[in-house]
Amino acid sequence: MRRLKRDNWTFSRPKFDINAKGVGVAVYSAHGPEHTYSLVCFAHDLPKEDRSDRVIAHAWDATFTLFDGVPNGEDIERLSQNVPKQEAGRISSNEISLSRANRSVRMFDYVVSCLAGGEQPDPEKIRSIGYLMRTTAVYGSGKFGAADREVICSRPEFNGPFQAEMLSVYLTRAFILDLVEHLAFKTAPETAVVIDPAIRRLFGVGNSTGLGMAPFIVNHPVLFNNWIAAREEALTRIRSLFTATLQEQSAFLDILARARLNVEGWRSEHPLQQKKLALLKTDLKDLEDYLEIDVLAQERPWNQLYNWAEENLSTEGQEQLVSLMLEPYGALVDDLSDHMGATEDKHFYIDGSKTLLATQSILEDIYDWALKTEWSAPDTVARIWYVSAEKLEPRLGERFDEPLEPYEQPLATGRDAALMYQDILTWNGGPLLADFLLEHPEHRHIARRAQIAAELPYAEIRDNTISSTLLPIDMLRCKLSFFGATHFDPRSDRWVRINMFQNAPFPHELKDHEEDDWTYPILNELK
Amino acid sequence: MPYSLNEIEAMCKRATRGAGLPWGIAEEAGKASRWLASHNLPGPEMLSKLLALHQGTVYQDFTPVFEGTEFRPTSDTLCPLMAGAALIDRISEFPDGQHIEFKSIAYPILLAPYAAFCARKIGLQFELSWAGVRVIISPEGHLKIEGNTALITSPHSTSVVGRSSSTNTDFLPQKISSRDVDTEGWNSLAGFSSRMYAPATEASRKLGAG
Repeated sequence: MRRLKRDNWTFSRPKFDINAKGVGVAVYSAHGPEHTYSLVCFAHDLPKEDRSDRVIAHAWDATFTLFDGVPNGEDIERLSQNVPKQEAGRISSNEISLSRANRSVRMFDYVVSCLAGGEQPDPEKIRSIGYLMRTTAVYGSGKFGAADREVICSRPEFNGPFQAEMLSVYLTRAFILDLVEHLAFKTAPETAVVIDPAIRRLFGVGNSTGLGMAPFIVNHPVLFNNWIAAREEALTRIRSLFTATLQEQSAFLDILARARLNVEGWRSEHPLQQKKLALLKTDLKDLEDYLEIDVLAQERPWNQLYNWAEENLSTEGQEQLVSLMLEPYGALVDDLSDHMGATEDKHFYIDGSKTLLATQSILEDIYDWALKTEWSAPDTVARIWYVSAEKLEPRLGERFDEPLEPYEQPLATGRDAALMYQDILTWNGGPLLADFLLEHPEHRHIARRAQIAAELPYAEIRDNTISSTLLPIDMLRCKLSFFGATHFDPRSDRWVRINMFQNAPFPHELKDHEEDDWTYPILNELK
Repeated sequence: MPYSLNEIEAMCKRATRGAGLPWGIAEEAGKASRWLASHNLPGPEMLSKLLALHQGTVYQDFTPVFEGTEFRPTSDTLCPLMAGAALIDRISEFPDGQHIEFKSIAYPILLAPYAAFCARKIGLQFELSWAGVRVIISPEGHLKIEGNTALITSPHSTSVVGRSSSTNTDFLPQKISSRDVDTEGWNSLAGFSSRMYAPATEASRKLGAG
């Protein structure tokens, strides 16, 4: 968003050909200094019984691709044969992403009916869901024939991770709002109105995320390290500040109040998550109370606040606090976002010239928790990550209930490190890692990870990813938070709905609106 | 059909694992096939043939024996994936210009991506030669093939010699971003990769699916 505004990107809608039933095609183009990208949107008439957020679905309310340039008629024809099929179709290196979305039927119908009747939708009702459609997958990086990351990563706008996918979601939001207004006009041309701009901005784009995202953070250790390292460095910079100015104190109090309002909007039907959510709400109240003793006016205020939080808040509360502490200090931390990209290849190859003794010591350092774990206990290995033949997507099974072991994915890093360590202890061969791996190629995978984690401290999740107590949702939320998600509605321990770009200006508003102060709801703007 | 390099890498990794090789070797085979494909060489196709050759054996049979400067097979044939990995592990042991020999190796072109990594690591160009062909790779990953290019797809060579060299060959940069993989090769890889997908059951859909 900062880049779009800074570089004066402009936006156009070269095509909007949608009928009264909501079926047709639309194109939204974003014009940057050197390149234009177009979201090609296909809107469908989806029978109710086919609407599913699961990855096993085969039809959706709307399907999208981000085209590199502006598509001509032939391109659109080709894409119309493929994009609606999603995983079953093929796109080309002219396309950068592939995604789909389903309506929140209740909200969608409500808004169309309000607008058709000449009325504005109720802000409170909007907040209860927050979006008209939710994406259920956004694919990039060469998936299904799309352009490889190498094709676009040297362009400044896509140098950072997931920027193309985020642009596609941002344009998707614009399409959805246009669609709902268009349908209202088709329904009642005499009475229909458009949405008031301030109410319009209350709509984000939902996203429904399942297990598929969890293995990503294990499979991209360098990227994951760089994300966490950026966050830790930001936190360190702020904790080191000797004082906070009155302006910074007031900015923090404001964002805290907005965060409290934000959390009020979270919904969960999952008992465990409901408990965590309740704790988070209490935490934020406690935090506000604690701030009344004027801790921010004291020396090293943020360090003091952080230390207090470690003693007094739940993990949810501590994490929220860290995010909020960054908010008044954009100028101090924003440069870190330039270091959140990664080239996994740079760290890919194993250095076999390391001695086994040094390797052993790395394992003891990185996987100390795993070396102390009793891996023969059924609960510690209860889960198993595998890939289904059905849609080739990652799933999590019960090791002892289903015959899945032959299909296990290499995502149990702690257990595998412990196995390698055992084999090193009984090794009688040469002194180098190269000697050991020649005989034990089954440990190459973990040898690579250990060497990466020895250099990059946040590359490895230092916990058991196959335990009976594993909560995959924590992995999903971690990744989604780096996409800017601040609103989480966990549906279970492995499925979460989020809302993105809520309160953000739309493309046509960017020129005249603040691009950087919308991640938390604005207080008292709309009753 | 054209595939993105990302698809080629993912397919080759899964196929190698599906054929019974360890995960770490499979990850490297994925990168290797991608490198070959990005240089317009038949990486996925050669890998599919190699995996077919491995059928019915266990990977331990392909563990190279290493002595001095020579890699030779435990049984009949050296596997270029295992030998390539071992070359990378040991590259810093060899003095510049040292001849390293691979005896009786299957699909020698599959060694090239591993040699490319060695070139990058030691900062010198690295070449592989067998029969009448020389494959030269710069530290930047550029490639030049001299001699009888038909031998690139050799299924076997009794001896491949690898060595680093401080000469500077003129390379023509060539990188492509997606390429056609022949249907037979792709289908064969898909067959191997399917061995590592669990058949869907109603229970797994209900419990484990995202």
